[in-house]
Amino acid sequence: MNEELESQLSAMFDDELSAAECELLARRLSRDEQLKARWGRYAVIGATIRAERGVRLHAALARKVNTAILAEPALGVSGAPQRALRSGLRWRQAVAGLAVAAGVAAVSVFWLRAEAPLAVAPLTAQLALPVQAFGTTQTAGTTVPARADSYVLPRAPASRPVVVPVTELANYVVAHSMVSSPVARRNLLSAFMTSDPGAAGTEEPLEVATSNAQ
Amino acid sequence: MGADVSDLSLVRRVQRGDKGAFDALVLKYQHKLVKLVMRYVRNPAEAEDIAQEAFIKAYRALPQFRGDSAFYTWLYRIAINTAKNAVVSRDRSPIEYNLDRSSDESYDMQGRMKDSETPEGLVLTDEIRSIVNGAIDALPEDLRTAIVLRELEGLSYEEIAATMDCPVGTVRSRIFRAREAIDLRLREVFEGGLGRAEELG
Repeated sequence: MNEELESQLSAMFDDELSAAECELLARRLSRDEQLKARWGRYAVIGATIRAERGVRLHAALARKVNTAILAEPALGVSGAPQRALRSGLRWRQAVAGLAVAAGVAAVSVFWLRAEAPLAVAPLTAQLALPVQAFGTTQTAGTTVPARADSYVLPRAPASRPVVVPVTELANYVVAHSMVSSPVARRNLLSAFMTSDPGAAGTEEPLEVATSNAQ
Repeated sequence: MGADVSDLSLVRRVQRGDKGAFDALVLKYQHKLVKLVMRYVRNPAEAEDIAQEAFIKAYRALPQFRGDSAFYTWLYRIAINTAKNAVVSRDRSPIEYNLDRSSDESYDMQGRMKDSETPEGLVLTDEIRSIVNGAIDALPEDLRTAIVLRELEGLSYEEIAATMDCPVGTVRSRIFRAREAIDLRLREVFEGGLGRAEELG
């Protein structure tokens, strides 16, 4: 037994050896009876200095425990590693379950968006339009969004979804004018023009239709 | 370093099926555990039986030990529970309980006789104490201070280095040399026959 090894043993006994060195020395300690005896004597020295009672060189206690442990099954086969493996599998199963659930949720969201673009798209567009001019506070040159005062701008009328196409409505008005009086026809047409001026001004067929009717 | 690394390396070996590593843990903690159990039972032989039971329970429960606490803390709890259970079951057998409680001194002496089994055993215990104390007295001042600060005060190498105003490596060397000097004396006694007599007894 060399002095460096004994010095390491002494440091390991005091828990003052690095983990890597401890690993190597623990392997040797568990097999080398001479080293183990020295380790036991270090314990005796410590116990004696602390004036612990019943200190003996070859305590019957260690021998009895050793005999009892020899009759026990070794732990490695059915003990900790298998339990650790089982707990590892349980952990992986939980993660896999979460991943599947997240995947299904993502597919569902994309599918819904693809199925109803008119219903979902404006809503998301509105949510994505916070107005910075009113909804922010400026502090020391940095822009900090103020959550409580944020606003949502209404979208421009041109981008609003049109439920009934303007040409169809104009055709309806023209068809209706065939059976209505000139005053009623003019009122209906002017009401239609004022209610949707942009559409009325740009839609060429409307003008054509109204001129035909007159 | 520290943080129970050395115990943990032994524990991991036991968990992988190396029973020899458990011997090292028993050798290291047997004295502490007997001392602990003797807070509950005054008979050293009974304390030793309880400590033995605690070690065996610890071995069986070792697969559940994950290293969240220090090994000795975990062992300590097992020993305390084992001692409490032993006291409860002993109190349920009044004949044995009443037998030795007439006088503390005679009770203690009887326990020591059972503990050592033979008068040689008692001599040996005193002999060890005398040898260790004599060897410590014979140590150079720096070695004696280092080993006492470590074993009696429980200081880490770093704390001892700060106290003694020297590098940590020097502390490690001093403690090792102190142990070697005391161990040399112990081996002389052991090889002289007393240890073997006790072992056979």
